[in-house]
Amino acid sequence: MNKGLISFLVFVVGLAVFHNAIFPIFTPKEIGWVLNRYVYFLLFVAYVIITNLILRLKPPIAMTALFVWGLGFYFYKFVLYPPIPWTLFITYMVMWSIGTFLFISQDPETFREFRKPIVKTIVGEYKFAQIIVMIAMPILVGFATYNTIYPSYQEPVELRTVHPAPPATTKVHGKTYPLESTNNPFRIDEQDNYKDSFPFLDADKHEYMKYVTEGGTIFFQNCHYCHGDQLNGLGMFSHVFNPTPANFIDPGTIAMLQEAFLFWRVSKGGPGLPNESTPWSSAMPPWEEHLNTEEIWKVILFEYWYTGWHPRTFGTEGAEG
Amino acid sequence: MTKNTNYIKRLIFSVLAVALMSVPGAALAQSMPDAIKKDMLETGKKVYFKRCVWCHGVEGGGDGPSADRLFTRPRNFIQGTFKIRVTDSGELPMETDLIKTVKNGLQGSAMPAWGEFLSENEIVSVVQFVKSLVQDREWDDEDEEVNVQDFGTNPWGTTGPYHLGVPQADIDAGKEVFLKNKCFECHGGEGRGDGNPTMKDDWGFPIVAADWTQCWNFRGARRDPFNPFNVVRTITTGLNGTPMPNFKDQITVEDRWKIAAFVNSLCPRKNIDPLTNKPIPDFLIQSVYTEGQVSPMIDDPSWQSPDTDSRIVPFSDEIKDNPKRHYIAMAGQITRGKRNFDPKTDDLWVTSRWSAEDNAVYYLVEYHQRFMSQDPEYPDAVAMQWPAKLQDLFGAEKPYFIMGDSKKPVDIWKANFMAQDYNATNAPKPEGYKLKTSVEEFVGLGFDAVSTKESESKVQVVDSIYKQGRVKIMFKRNLKTDGEFDVQIPTEQFIPVSFLQWSGRDKEKDEHMAISTWYYTILKPALPASLYYMPPIMAVVFVCFQGWLIWMTKRTRKMYDEGKIKRDELPK
Repeated sequence: MNKGLISFLVFVVGLAVFHNAIFPIFTPKEIGWVLNRYVYFLLFVAYVIITNLILRLKPPIAMTALFVWGLGFYFYKFVLYPPIPWTLFITYMVMWSIGTFLFISQDPETFREFRKPIVKTIVGEYKFAQIIVMIAMPILVGFATYNTIYPSYQEPVELRTVHPAPPATTKVHGKTYPLESTNNPFRIDEQDNYKDSFPFLDADKHEYMKYVTEGGTIFFQNCHYCHGDQLNGLGMFSHVFNPTPANFIDPGTIAMLQEAFLFWRVSKGGPGLPNESTPWSSAMPPWEEHLNTEEIWKVILFEYWYTGWHPRTFGTEGAEG
Repeated sequence: MTKNTNYIKRLIFSVLAVALMSVPGAALAQSMPDAIKKDMLETGKKVYFKRCVWCHGVEGGGDGPSADRLFTRPRNFIQGTFKIRVTDSGELPMETDLIKTVKNGLQGSAMPAWGEFLSENEIVSVVQFVKSLVQDREWDDEDEEVNVQDFGTNPWGTTGPYHLGVPQADIDAGKEVFLKNKCFECHGGEGRGDGNPTMKDDWGFPIVAADWTQCWNFRGARRDPFNPFNVVRTITTGLNGTPMPNFKDQITVEDRWKIAAFVNSLCPRKNIDPLTNKPIPDFLIQSVYTEGQVSPMIDDPSWQSPDTDSRIVPFSDEIKDNPKRHYIAMAGQITRGKRNFDPKTDDLWVTSRWSAEDNAVYYLVEYHQRFMSQDPEYPDAVAMQWPAKLQDLFGAEKPYFIMGDSKKPVDIWKANFMAQDYNATNAPKPEGYKLKTSVEEFVGLGFDAVSTKESESKVQVVDSIYKQGRVKIMFKRNLKTDGEFDVQIPTEQFIPVSFLQWSGRDKEKDEHMAISTWYYTILKPALPASLYYMPPIMAVVFVCFQGWLIWMTKRTRKMYDEGKIKRDELPK
């Protein structure tokens, strides 16, 4: 069998096997030092090189170029994570293509070898290939034109600032609170002491758990519709709203915020957001309309107790989970 | 000692069960309920009091703080009544049933899926604790027996997620079984749960029959909503604590699969979001350009499209150019003023056409409403909400989605309607009920600052009907009007739009309503003529280019051969 064909099959079949069977193994939920997608990619590259060397396939330069280009395409399209926007993808692929071209035109010999099959196809020495290419290309161009002209509409992408800069002070129920120096009046003890305590059952024994129970009660009467029973932002109404409700389990929300920031956000809700945070579509109520100040602080206390996060405070670097 | 006798008893039961199963026709596997694993109770209690107590209550009575604001209410464990089981009606569930319920949640209710949130050990433990909350029955009582039912197997071998490919003959046969067993008495003529408005559960709380056209809300969907097995299980075991009985004696296993095929055929195939277990909303409502006039009749062929996503099941040829039905997710308005914690509508389906000749745009808004209002003081209503001053909005800016704000007013088109000669307890009426409609136009400057427009109403409801649990309202308005607070509708532009809905039977009015977030709509232009002539032109141009390339290459070769020019020399 033609060595070039074998080399091609080694690449294509190998890619299919790697992508469908081995890729899932290398993308577990918990990413490790070995089991990650980049190690997987290096393994695939090593597989291609080693099989070609061992079998002494010496694929023609045009095919090698195709492999190199294909590896780049595969990496940027499927391996690189998180996925990149298509504009960036095109930029990367242009650079990758230039690199591939430099590789084949590194000296006149390889460049001529690279051109040989192309020229032979064009002048008709590979008659069959010529007929196929000459018929297929115009049809492809026609389809591409159709696809480009066919009007298609996607809703506009809207960016918003998730954590807007807080104001210096906020006025709730007639009292002004400076955000920098306000603390939760119900945080009367170290939260970790109550990790294994029971709401309701321990409410009489510990004052802290009394506040947690009261906060939880308010949460499950008002907030769980959006923020969810698991506080993960997947409540029964969450799919309706855009922006989607905040996920308190995520290390990027309450874990990195001060309690006073939460107090401001809870009290003023969606309408209290600055314009860059799209106040017009946030379903977060200004809770000062429904809850009193103490209830707001208790809900905040509950959210930290439930998730195990610690609020950010001044003088420390951040929160621990 | 008791443990030992229990063990022997169970052994005998399992031997009996195996013997029974080997007898053809007998299909019940009788045994004792799974006993409580006492060593797991401590962990279970911890999980329960952290995660579950808020809805299910300290003693498991389904009376946690959230309970009064939920419809359907959280489960009361005390009597040992569990809905989703593989055991016979009235019996306790298998432990695996409860584990599956905790893992997958109960879709369409507030019970989330805990499978990704808790560890396997925590889930099994909390199930033990929940079992220990059952007071009225004993899991190791010798009189308690559980009979795992025979469900047969999927006769068509369909696979998820959409379970397509069931033969139409079986679906039709399923419909016959549906009619014969009078399922419509509760579930309605087309399965939208609009049969019986007076049902109560075992504790006297009102409950409604499942809407088969929204299978993602089936409590027993197990995050696999299109699987016909869910329906077979429910028909075979009934739902304990509810008026849903089992039909295992009336309907053979084969026929249960057929009825499941029929029930599932009613549920439109939509792409389900694995996080929320609801269809992904269609955030862009595409209004299709129509040659000549748009038909103002809901029944006109030009308005017929299935709810199913055309990317999952392509439209048939007759309707392939029809506008698609867009899925709009709805929730209770729980943000401002009087909040609505138990909305009666989960979603709307919106279809749109526009015509330049007509100078008008049409929106067909449909939604499922089990029971209509009979009280003229509280009519049912649905509204479309637009930015009144579209031209003044900058970038992504919009008015506040709950009836606007003081700086950015909204234009609200509201259709109020009452079904005529309607009584909620009537038998299904296939031709539907005519609606008596009236249109109001409002300017909203905030949820508490909504005023009726002074100018004459320019929005029309051109056609409407309430049929088999589905309201259909067709709005029409001219693209341009002269009112100060009328939205001026441009073509080929993204226009924010949102939806409001009031259930009269629930005495909803003003801001006590169901609401959607902002969507976009666009009036798509006619397909450009260049679509038909440009592709061939480009192909011909490319053919010419290819010819030129061949000619050039051949000429270069010839020049090499004749020695007119020198090839590039390779290094020696």
